[in-house]
Amino acid sequence: MAVTVDKQELEKTSGNGAHSDVVVAVRGLTKVFKDFWGRSKARAVNDVDFEVYRGEVFGLLGPNGSGKSTTIKMLLGLLYPTKGHIEVFGHSPRHVATKSRIGYLPEESYLYRYLDSRETLDFFGNLFRLSPEDRKERITQLLEMVGLAQTQTRVVGEFSKGMQRRIGLAQALINDPDLVILDEPTAGLDPIGCREIKDLIVSLARRGKTVILSSHLLADVEDVCDRVVVYFGGRIHAMGTLKELLATPDSIRMTMPALPKETLERVLEIIRRDVADDRIHIDTPEQSLESYFLDIVEKARGEALETSGALSGGTVAPYLRGESEQERKQRVLERLTHTGEKTAEEEKAPSEKHEVKEEVLNKLMEQERKAAERPLESGTKDKEKEEKEAQREKVDLSKANEKLSSLTKRERED
Amino acid sequence: MQQILAIARLTFRAAYRFKLVLILSLVLLGGVVLLPLVLEGDGTAQGFAQIVITYTLSITAALLAISTLWLACGTLAGDVEYGTIQTITVKPVSRWRVWLGKWLGVMILNAVLLGLAGAFTFGAMKWRATKLPPEQRQVLDNEVLVSRASAKPPVPELDKAVDQLTKQRLEESSAADLNEELLRQQIRIQLEAQIQTVPPKYSRRWMIDLGAAADDVRDQPLFLRVKFQTSRSMMETLESIIYDTAWRVGPVDSPSTWRTNRSLTANAFHEIRIPAGMLDNEGKLRVEVGNPNDEALMFPLDNGIEVLYREASFGVNFIRGLLIIYFWIGLLAAVGLAAASFLSFPVAAFCSVTILILGMSTGLMSRVVSEGTVLGVNHETGEAGSSFIDWFAVPFFKAVLEVVGFAKGFSPIDALSTGTSIPWSEVGLAFFRLIMVMSGFAAALGMIIFTRRELATAQLSR
Repeated sequence: MAVTVDKQELEKTSGNGAHSDVVVAVRGLTKVFKDFWGRSKARAVNDVDFEVYRGEVFGLLGPNGSGKSTTIKMLLGLLYPTKGHIEVFGHSPRHVATKSRIGYLPEESYLYRYLDSRETLDFFGNLFRLSPEDRKERITQLLEMVGLAQTQTRVVGEFSKGMQRRIGLAQALINDPDLVILDEPTAGLDPIGCREIKDLIVSLARRGKTVILSSHLLADVEDVCDRVVVYFGGRIHAMGTLKELLATPDSIRMTMPALPKETLERVLEIIRRDVADDRIHIDTPEQSLESYFLDIVEKARGEALETSGALSGGTVAPYLRGESEQERKQRVLERLTHTGEKTAEEEKAPSEKHEVKEEVLNKLMEQERKAAERPLESGTKDKEKEEKEAQREKVDLSKANEKLSSLTKRERED
Repeated sequence: MQQILAIARLTFRAAYRFKLVLILSLVLLGGVVLLPLVLEGDGTAQGFAQIVITYTLSITAALLAISTLWLACGTLAGDVEYGTIQTITVKPVSRWRVWLGKWLGVMILNAVLLGLAGAFTFGAMKWRATKLPPEQRQVLDNEVLVSRASAKPPVPELDKAVDQLTKQRLEESSAADLNEELLRQQIRIQLEAQIQTVPPKYSRRWMIDLGAAADDVRDQPLFLRVKFQTSRSMMETLESIIYDTAWRVGPVDSPSTWRTNRSLTANAFHEIRIPAGMLDNEGKLRVEVGNPNDEALMFPLDNGIEVLYREASFGVNFIRGLLIIYFWIGLLAAVGLAAASFLSFPVAAFCSVTILILGMSTGLMSRVVSEGTVLGVNHETGEAGSSFIDWFAVPFFKAVLEVVGFAKGFSPIDALSTGTSIPWSEVGLAFFRLIMVMSGFAAALGMIIFTRRELATAQLSR
């Protein structure tokens, strides 16, 4: 299975040599905003270093004005660093060709107000030199994905902020980018939209895409990021995987069905032998507001209530999910014929040979498709996993908040 | 190309969706069709040309010039201001392509509008021509709604003679303080006057070479366009004084030589129709004028006498004229975009309008440059004023004139209203100078600045 994918990836990253896994490298990055006379006005980013690897979801975390957006704009070549060095796919951020591998959702919807959603996507598709057929196919899939298939003829200027975000997201993905940069992706979105974006991010990462997202909403970051940096005042104050950052090794938490009182007493009895009473904490896990809200909407959707706003999209656009139908066929075919490399003749495989295996092929493909789709459909996640997440959210979120506010405090004292 | 076209289409679409196209079309049609209807001509072919061609085309050009500057500044500066440019430049499209796409979009819009206005002007002209009295219609068909090229007699080479005479005069003269430059000027004026002047009771002869066109126009009637001055007419400019003239046209020993006597006013252009077949074998036209008056007639060297001949249909000429107007607008679009490449919309619009006004006030500037001061010369004392402004204004105006002079001289509207042919070579030259060189320069400047510029703003919390 990995044969074709790897080959493609290899081709794309060729020229990076040893750093084929480093997508973004930032060293000593500093940005000083100057006024008209060239006097320093603000040091927005101050001596920042980090690397982002292929396939990871990397979060830039920090309060407003801490330098997240400035960093992102420098990664995209919209701002130029005062000092330091940036490499994106081994090139300068100003390298034009590299940009065909990047998708960017700006923090505000910078869209043409007089275009409708289809025209907007068509315009950006043209900037990627996509063929008319590709554009048409992808636009339809994207509009379906972001839930705007019903509002194709309304101009973007009439859209609500959330709907504009959705179009913004669609334009960021039209080139099937290898690196997706999302600046405050969930700002202005309803909880369903947030959930869908998070699902999308996870599914992109699963396909080996790299995602960089900035946010001050901790829940967003925590749900999807593999690694985060925490910004404050233009500097990085913490960096690492969420596990490293959030683990509190000196305490544990157990979750189980409610116990009879006697049993619980007995358990506590045992625990009290080792731990003082005031350090034990017992409660009933609550459902998070997010999952509660999603439940209600899910029910309403089951009753098919009408809405004039954005519909929930749900499934990720097929082309973003992976290969096209044909590629998938090719891949299965390859596995069946056990050839690592295909020659030109083999590509134009004789039709009889093809037909013989068509049936088997389709069955295999069906299986594969199911396997690929299952984890992506929102709302059909494992109950178990969801519960676990909901709990972790509660505890870890407060920890992270504490951490951040202590940082803020320290900085102020400085 | 796909990218450039996408941006061009977007630019056009923006103008269309914001109803700019609709409003401009209406204003143009109002200016081109309705207003001329309100203005009554004086019933002559010249008055007709004045209103229908000069007036409407000038209005069209002025409206398009202003809307182009506005749109060119707005489309780029607006994108930067609203941040939409951020979504574009993170795509794999070079910034020069963005710039070029914008220019192309503005030019597509202008092509549509100019085409529209041109078609209506042409239609209105044909229609109004039917309302003229018959004899004026004939004049119109012969002199205005035509495309006539002109041939002039060769301008005599005077430099050598001037040199020689100056030298001679200096040698003869004993005065040590003789200003050589002044002397040279005076000698030149004298010589020119000698050539231009037809003394009383004398006649004067020109040989006008029609060159390559001779064979095509041999069987057509030609038109002699003449203008002369006299010492009396130059002093009393308000009064038109009439002089008798006798003309003889055609090969000297041919029996078909054509003669006519005309009473003509001084200081004005006159056209004399010459029957076909007057060219000699070498394609030259021999023209002789007799002066029976008691005053000398003076035919200016530059426009005293020329032969006009049909070169193409008026329709073709009209299109060539519109093309040159189009090139002018292309230059303005490039200037507007170049300004918007580094300035915000209001500042860019202000700057480019200033440039437009500066370009149009060359008369004032050339006076300042020739007098060497902005304060002007007191013509009674001959004393020139002086001001510290001169220190930079004079060289600045000089530079502006150099630049404008490179582009000026293309005046398609004048040519169209006098039925003068605009040769393809001039259209080509206009394209080269206005689009390739000047717009190219503005574009290069704009693209370089735009490419180097940071397109996102500092969004800092306060």
